[in-house]
Amino acid sequence: MDRTPDEPSDTPGAVSRRPLMIGAALAAAPLAPPGIAAPARAQDAGDGRLRVNLTVNGEARQLSLDPRASLLDTLREGLALTGAKKGCDHGQCGACTVHLDGRRVASCLTLAVQADGRAVTTIEGVAREDDELHPMQQAFIDHDALQCGYCTPGQIMAAIALVREGRAGSAEEIREYMSGNLCRCGAYAGILAAIQDAAPKMRGA
Amino acid sequence: MQPFTYARAESEEAAIRAVSAGGRGTRFLAGGTTLYDLMKLGAETPERLVDISALPGLSGFETAGPRELVFGAGARMSDVAADPRLVRDYPVLSEALWKAASQQLRNMASLGGNLLQRTRCAYFRNGEPFACNKRVPGSGCAAREGIDRGHAVLGGSEACIATYPGDWAVALLALDAAVDVAGPNGARTIPLEALHREPGATPEVETTLARDEMILRVRVPATPLGRASTYHKIRDRESYAFALASAAVALRMEGEVVREARIALGGLATRPWRAREAERELAGRRLTPEAARAAGDAALRGARPGHHNAFRIELGARTVADALLIARQRA
Amino acid sequence: MSDTSFPDAPRADAQDKVRGALRYAADDARPGMAHAALAVAAVARGTVWRIDAAAARAVPGVRLVLTHEDLGGVKPPGFIMGGGYGFQSIQPLTSPQVAYRGQPIALVVADSPEAAAEGARLVRADLAAEPHQVTLDTPEADIVAQADSPLPKPMFADVTVGDAAAALADAAIRIEAEFRHPAQHQSPIEMLSTVAEWRDGHLTVQEGTQNAEAIRHGLARQLEIEPARITVLSPSAGGGFGQKNSLQAHTVLAAEAARRLERPVKLVVSRAQVFHGGSFRPASRHRIRLGADAEGRMTALVHETDSQTSRHDLFPTQYTELSSRLYGIGNFRGRERLVRNDVQTPGYMRAPYEHPAAFAVESCVDELAYRLGRDPVALRLANDAAADPVTGRPYSSRHLAECLRRGAARFGWERRSMAPGSMRAADGALVGWGVAIGAYKAATAPAVARLRLLDDGTVTLGVGGHEMGQGMRTAIAAVLQRRLGVDPGRITVEIGSTGATPQHLTAGSWGTATVVPATDEACDALLRALDALPASRTPAERLRAAGRAFLEVEVSRRAPGQPEAVIGRLATGLPAAAGPAYPEFVSFSHVAHFVEVRVEPTTCRIRVPRIVSVADCGRVVSPRTAASQLRGGVVWGIGAALREVSEVDPRHGGFLNADLAEYVLPVHADIGTIEVEFVDEPDPRLNRPGVKGLGEVAMVGVAPAIANAVHHATGKRLRSLPIRVEDLL
Repeated sequence: MDRTPDEPSDTPGAVSRRPLMIGAALAAAPLAPPGIAAPARAQDAGDGRLRVNLTVNGEARQLSLDPRASLLDTLREGLALTGAKKGCDHGQCGACTVHLDGRRVASCLTLAVQADGRAVTTIEGVAREDDELHPMQQAFIDHDALQCGYCTPGQIMAAIALVREGRAGSAEEIREYMSGNLCRCGAYAGILAAIQDAAPKMRGA
Repeated sequence: MQPFTYARAESEEAAIRAVSAGGRGTRFLAGGTTLYDLMKLGAETPERLVDISALPGLSGFETAGPRELVFGAGARMSDVAADPRLVRDYPVLSEALWKAASQQLRNMASLGGNLLQRTRCAYFRNGEPFACNKRVPGSGCAAREGIDRGHAVLGGSEACIATYPGDWAVALLALDAAVDVAGPNGARTIPLEALHREPGATPEVETTLARDEMILRVRVPATPLGRASTYHKIRDRESYAFALASAAVALRMEGEVVREARIALGGLATRPWRAREAERELAGRRLTPEAARAAGDAALRGARPGHHNAFRIELGARTVADALLIARQRA
Repeated sequence: MSDTSFPDAPRADAQDKVRGALRYAADDARPGMAHAALAVAAVARGTVWRIDAAAARAVPGVRLVLTHEDLGGVKPPGFIMGGGYGFQSIQPLTSPQVAYRGQPIALVVADSPEAAAEGARLVRADLAAEPHQVTLDTPEADIVAQADSPLPKPMFADVTVGDAAAALADAAIRIEAEFRHPAQHQSPIEMLSTVAEWRDGHLTVQEGTQNAEAIRHGLARQLEIEPARITVLSPSAGGGFGQKNSLQAHTVLAAEAARRLERPVKLVVSRAQVFHGGSFRPASRHRIRLGADAEGRMTALVHETDSQTSRHDLFPTQYTELSSRLYGIGNFRGRERLVRNDVQTPGYMRAPYEHPAAFAVESCVDELAYRLGRDPVALRLANDAAADPVTGRPYSSRHLAECLRRGAARFGWERRSMAPGSMRAADGALVGWGVAIGAYKAATAPAVARLRLLDDGTVTLGVGGHEMGQGMRTAIAAVLQRRLGVDPGRITVEIGSTGATPQHLTAGSWGTATVVPATDEACDALLRALDALPASRTPAERLRAAGRAFLEVEVSRRAPGQPEAVIGRLATGLPAAAGPAYPEFVSFSHVAHFVEVRVEPTTCRIRVPRIVSVADCGRVVSPRTAASQLRGGVVWGIGAALREVSEVDPRHGGFLNADLAEYVLPVHADIGTIEVEFVDEPDPRLNRPGVKGLGEVAMVGVAPAIANAVHHATGKRLRSLPIRVEDLL
């Protein structure tokens, strides 16, 4: 129900784990001597900017980026997707949380160029239709899990991911796995209640 | 942030070659949670980044093998923390991972990169006006006479008392892990114990890795000690904080008696800190609360307080003691 | 309208907030936007004698660098507590003087945030450092007795009631102790952010603020232009907590840059810079002497304080407003002093005086209970005030005893055993139960409210106030719904932006007691005007029946006893609130907090699994947002008591732990169960709807309740915040 095309299923067992690839490089054999591998692929477009392809909320976007740009600034300034917020710019507050290939990340500490070829979901993309709300969004309203609202998009993105990770088992577990998202207004009790309410709805949907 | 060029490596070999050929300003980029953070602060100023975060050969891990556990350096902290075998058979490893940072950062950070996490010392991170030998060699150390509440009580030098902030390396150290690395001149294996350096007179050199050497994987010998283990971490808040003191312990018990103990300390030293003396003293003893406390004291023997951090010597000893008692219950 | 409780209703702006659709200032993203970044001083005090911006200007994409050599024409904003608008009186970049570490010395504007940040990094400044002083332990010459200072009296006079010295000398029991509170930072998650743009000589500023009018009038003063040429848009702030109560130092820099570049300029002050770019809670020291008779009747209280201020401003304190009035103590002497430091001017942070003062006083009251062997709740009930001890006037309402009784019952207080260390949890943790009370003035600001009803049934209400998460929009909508029968979907609330009605500072917990009565009176006026129209079923039908497209009324409201002239202050963006002392009565909100702590026996970690808080804030107009606000205040109390300290290295000045990893805010895992309850009795003497304030009282008393619980668990009296493991090892 709450699924967007680029994200994994909500069932806890389906948490995406990277395919196990213990290939040549990971086996105990020594690394092949240098000179036989393909060179590092330069993507430079010539002016220091890089061409990057992102899928954002299901839509393919091609961007020309300063390599220094964070994914957060790229979403906000480049794509006018300002739901993800800047609260610290150092991965210390969680307000910038988005999903990258279905996993929650701090977009302020993600170089946008590293997201090349990957799928980004922001708060603007979690509801299937414009006039619908994701069950987590509705639960945040129902439990007044917010005050000023500034950290809220990050909290919701973290909360949706948390349920998919199978971490909504107990209050203690939810608190632990939501601790990367600061709420200065102190809406923590409401956020906990919202997640406990939304988790079964997400699983059942 | 200083401009840099960015390239994505398509193989380990290509990455090493690119970093080696690129010279001093060229760096590997994995999850970026440390490097990009410090670049934003101006504490790191690379000119060329070689992205190794998408190398498929580095991202796997295998915890079912009879002889050893193998973790690709590119595996994400969150994935490894959640591995059911690790949770069951090596809680010290799983806990060290999930008690670090936040799930967002654990989804980004790689196991190899995490080993190389740099200190949280505010004088190091924040630049001007603070003297920092790590940041500007020879400039002095503002922490020694400063706010040193979080600074190291073990392994410090005149030049630097910055705490090694990581958790994973501490747990690995307790389990005698090793890292396989590769560089332009080939591959080698470094015992984890030999990976990190004490600051001495050159605190800017934090590890024994060459700049163009890359961690490929972490190997942990399979051991029954893993079951009776824990990573106990005491922080200023209940989550999402660096350790005031932490202890990675693992035990082999025979009834009430400790046959073998592994104890490593985090958050207290300039590098991941193995407490071998405490291990030796505990071996053969009944694990009473008093014995656990004695082991804690032994682990902190030789600790030197600064101005605001003396309490962490006591806290460290108690953390070790609690960790031992937690681990015993898992035996 | 106060006869019955208000129903539960969702937060008015929650839909937009959960969608990420609500626009905060920095969310204005569009082509052509220029991005600015600040370079700041690295010395604690000194003079810039050379500044080299050549490298910054050479950065590709950098369009402008401003230093003090460029901005000499910009005037100082004046200090908000001294007839001006700024959080401090001085304006960075208008002179070579550096008053504190972290003070901006250059603004770099570029086409991208990356280029601006790089430019700022490359600004080189040679500064001549001068001696500095940044702690309370300072030479006497830098200590100012507030009573002898130029600060206005009687507002900032020392409070004296009866003869405290004599009563103390006669007291059977005396408690004497000194308390220390560290500097702390408000740290709303929205950083200080401004988008400035000029069009045809008109400046529009977008900035999350608690005081749009101060930004407007302050910028007019700084730029020497008519206020009519400035619009400030602040429909929502991402938290304020006192930090955003005035004109910030960075705002005029963005405005100047936008004017020179003829482009909109966005300036987001970095998190590290926010620690020096706005105000903070000053460090303070409190010496308490409390006297009681053998029966436990408190007879004397002396409260002496030292509190940080800056070298350039006197940030006044009113710590004794709480201590003199929390109980019915007949003899009180207060003495408040200010300590000049080389810091940016400190300022207001949630419960600015009341929280530190309550920590000191309520810790001593707990100590008194133990000296007497008396239950701490019973002791407090026995010392409740019948009338305001300072003026002798009655309270407009006082339900403190009710808060204590209800809280004790809900918490299960009767199961508490008195002796410290006498309660244990199954896992061996020491259990401590503590109680403390809090009070906060019920203030009111003047307001103009304009209400418009359209013939389609929609209603627009404009009034002076700012939404920063407390739920002001929701409270206003609740009143409109009750009085006019209009459903929430048809209500538009226009607050926080200049233009329609004056936007008075929203602070001091006077928001609801300002906008709700004004809205209520506007409804009166509208209903009277409707009475002149033909009768019909609904107001909109009456309009249509009369052939009117709309009906608009405007009311102007002042606090009880306020002179007409206060409207002039309102119109010019100056603070104009009144309270707690009104001509006929004195008005406070009250709260009682009951806290359980658990102290881990070995490593001494303190956890707070459970808190029960009962508040009297008059009639609760928006039950859902009020409950959130009370819980939020409790979380703030936990942070203040156990986590937050802005660390200072005296050698370097400024604040050392200037980020959100090292400035330790509570996280989810720190917060257990918080049960809240309201007395919900209207206070019609204060205003007809009977509302008082809530946002700040919510926090007052949490810290001493925690400290008292820690004492109950461990037997240790801890008098310096925050309480951390090192205090218990």
